[in-house]
Amino acid sequence: MSLLRRQPGLLLLAVAFVASCYWVFTRSTPIVAQRPVTIRLAHWQIERGPPEGIAAAIRRYEELNPRVKVEQQLIPGPIYRQWLRSNLAGDNGPDIIEWGAWVEGHRDLPARYFAPITAELAKPNPYNRGTSQEHIPWEKTFHDGLIGPKRDSPDPGQIYAVTLTETTVRLYVNATLLRAITGSDAAPRTFDDLRRIFALTRRYAARTGQHVSALAGSRDNGRTLAETVFAGPLLGLDQRLDDDGYLYLYNRKVLAAYLAGRWNYHHPNVTAGLTLVREVAQAMKPGFLQLRRDDAMLEFFRGEALALFYGTWDATTLRQMVPFEMLIMKLPAVTPDDPEVGRYVSGPLGEGQGETSVALYLNKTTAHREEVIDFLRFLTSVPGNQLFTDHSLWLPAINGVKVPEAIKGFRDYSVGYAFGQAPYDALGSNVGMVWDRDFYHLTGDQGSVEQFAAALDRDMPVAIRADLKEDVRNTLLLVKPQDTVIIGQANLAAASSDGEKYRRRQAEVETSQTMSEGILYQTRRALDAAKERGVQPR
Amino acid sequence: MRTLARLALAGLLASAGRAATDDVREAWQLVADHLGRDAYVRLDQLPGPATRERTFAQAVVAIDYQPVTQSRLQSSGATLAELARGDDELAAGAAYLQARLYQVHFQEHDYARAAELYEALARRQPHSHWAQLGLVKLALLRLYAPPEPAAPADRIAAAAELRSRLEEPALVRDLELQLGRAAAFYSLPPDTALPHLLAADHIGGLVGQANEELIVMIGELSLRAGHYAQSRTYFERYLREFTYNMRQVTVRRRLEDLATLEAQARKARP
Repeated sequence: MSLLRRQPGLLLLAVAFVASCYWVFTRSTPIVAQRPVTIRLAHWQIERGPPEGIAAAIRRYEELNPRVKVEQQLIPGPIYRQWLRSNLAGDNGPDIIEWGAWVEGHRDLPARYFAPITAELAKPNPYNRGTSQEHIPWEKTFHDGLIGPKRDSPDPGQIYAVTLTETTVRLYVNATLLRAITGSDAAPRTFDDLRRIFALTRRYAARTGQHVSALAGSRDNGRTLAETVFAGPLLGLDQRLDDDGYLYLYNRKVLAAYLAGRWNYHHPNVTAGLTLVREVAQAMKPGFLQLRRDDAMLEFFRGEALALFYGTWDATTLRQMVPFEMLIMKLPAVTPDDPEVGRYVSGPLGEGQGETSVALYLNKTTAHREEVIDFLRFLTSVPGNQLFTDHSLWLPAINGVKVPEAIKGFRDYSVGYAFGQAPYDALGSNVGMVWDRDFYHLTGDQGSVEQFAAALDRDMPVAIRADLKEDVRNTLLLVKPQDTVIIGQANLAAASSDGEKYRRRQAEVETSQTMSEGILYQTRRALDAAKERGVQPR
Repeated sequence: MRTLARLALAGLLASAGRAATDDVREAWQLVADHLGRDAYVRLDQLPGPATRERTFAQAVVAIDYQPVTQSRLQSSGATLAELARGDDELAAGAAYLQARLYQVHFQEHDYARAAELYEALARRQPHSHWAQLGLVKLALLRLYAPPEPAAPADRIAAAAELRSRLEEPALVRDLELQLGRAAAFYSLPPDTALPHLLAADHIGGLVGQANEELIVMIGELSLRAGHYAQSRTYFERYLREFTYNMRQVTVRRRLEDLATLEAQARKARP
């Protein structure tokens, strides 16, 4: 005791230790009081930009709403699927969830785990007060009117998500190398100009002994580029396959047409597309399909590739990390006057009018539905989306947000035709796998369009059947629960004072269910017909 | 005193009945919000004897209770068959859902049995919404499901026969839309599909993508059939109503094609 009296610091330390033990073992909360409500937002956009943009919006939101804390959970893409599925299955999912229809094996998530926000979207966003979007229904404040969430909705007519940004694809070019190789920094105006740059790069590499490819390559961006150039010559074939007159071709229609023997990988339009794919693949380093996006970026950063083709979602990362002057250009479209494949091209392929993306969904089991919707309103309001845009340098999804000078060019979309979902390499997961597996037949000195087409026509029938069967299974997954929802709505309509709301909703679900079933039966008939014929193109 | 006791008992029973109804209503709300599992648990925990509505609700939520098992579906089917013996709206709903089990829910679909049940319901309670909706589902079976072989035109004619029995405009529209889409799917001449598609559009009320596809489909099939004025009307309407769309350039191009075709037609006229 006398020791403690002589050493008051020791006494203080002992008291602090006992107090800490008491706090740690009897309380789990931090010493500073937490906010009463915490909502979690999970996404995979861990590139430079979006985390900073979302964080800026969160900071402002928390200033405006002292009751609410928003946590941003950055989940890397490679583990996102498993992470999300296991958390949702364990009733531990985040309140706001990024989801995309293209994420393999996740088609059932919206119907199972997400809640529609259609009614909220029909009303003006209160955070738009005093802006150009005041009084406008929230849904109409999105640049594209939420095309993606409407298209990907499990219940047509219902909207399940809001979007945060808008993306497209661009060619990122090493300006120093471009000048060294071509003598100027002019952007290619036609695909044939690009072809010439590919040839000049090969000559430059041979002349200087430097290891330089025209395009940085990996499975990820190689696939995106292949799809972009492949789609041009397919337009004419798409139009011929469009029996329904939708002026748009769904994947399942293309697959069914293959099984019906209406096209194969030796069709002239398809081989023209494959010729273009071979040209861009040859401009990448050998074996690029084994590499991932980060490898392509490193190749570009090291000055071993003249250009990198990828989405504007990587523009911020590239801007911050490249050690050279970088130019951003559009990939020139393949046009009918192209000397190699022009006769198969019926018009330029367009980029559309821009589609907003990074779709954020509401977890239907959230304990804080009102707060979550309020935060989504802020994030996608003019001031909230402005903060996101300014701090991320990603395009805004909301009308009225000022686009920073550095990214204005991303909104300058190529005008042209758009006729389908995916070109014929990734119509389903099995088709995509076969494409990747056989791709080596197309590239290198030993590869050729003919060999690749032969391999695809040998392997695709089985893959296409598997993908169509999967499509039927997925459609059934959506159709079945709608029966109970319809009955639920009908009983609510009969028992509620606001019955009309439920009756309208019931009618919408009935219509969409009948539509989905019609499609399901058509796909089944296509599969049955192919089975009867024993279709084996070539 | 006795009267007072009776009144108190009646009040007690009425409030208990109201509570039970409220509980089932809450379960319906959960079902409507896609929370079938929660509804299942809630209904399972309700005290007191099962009412008819509660039994129906339990059979409904069991259909989508994950993981779905065939034995649970069979058990629901038996309950629904029992409930379907009445003559009220609940009985009609049960009969409809019984048919749906055979059409989509059981692992082995039995389209013939589903069709029989839809027909029986439509005979028994022709004006019920569930009988009417069942006729639309029956039309889908006639359009696409076995028995084979059946010529596409015969399939469409057999499904179209059901239209005269439909009274609800929204369901007539849904049937017409399916008839038009089936005609296009079977590659029948555009003039087979168009009357059905036009009828669906005239009834109206479609929302979202379904409406967008209907309008563009009428425009394109009309062009292919040589009904140029009708094609123009629908393409122009498409551009007006769907200002933000991937098809914008394609539709504009089709309007240019249309102008060329109209000029050729004018020249060819004597």
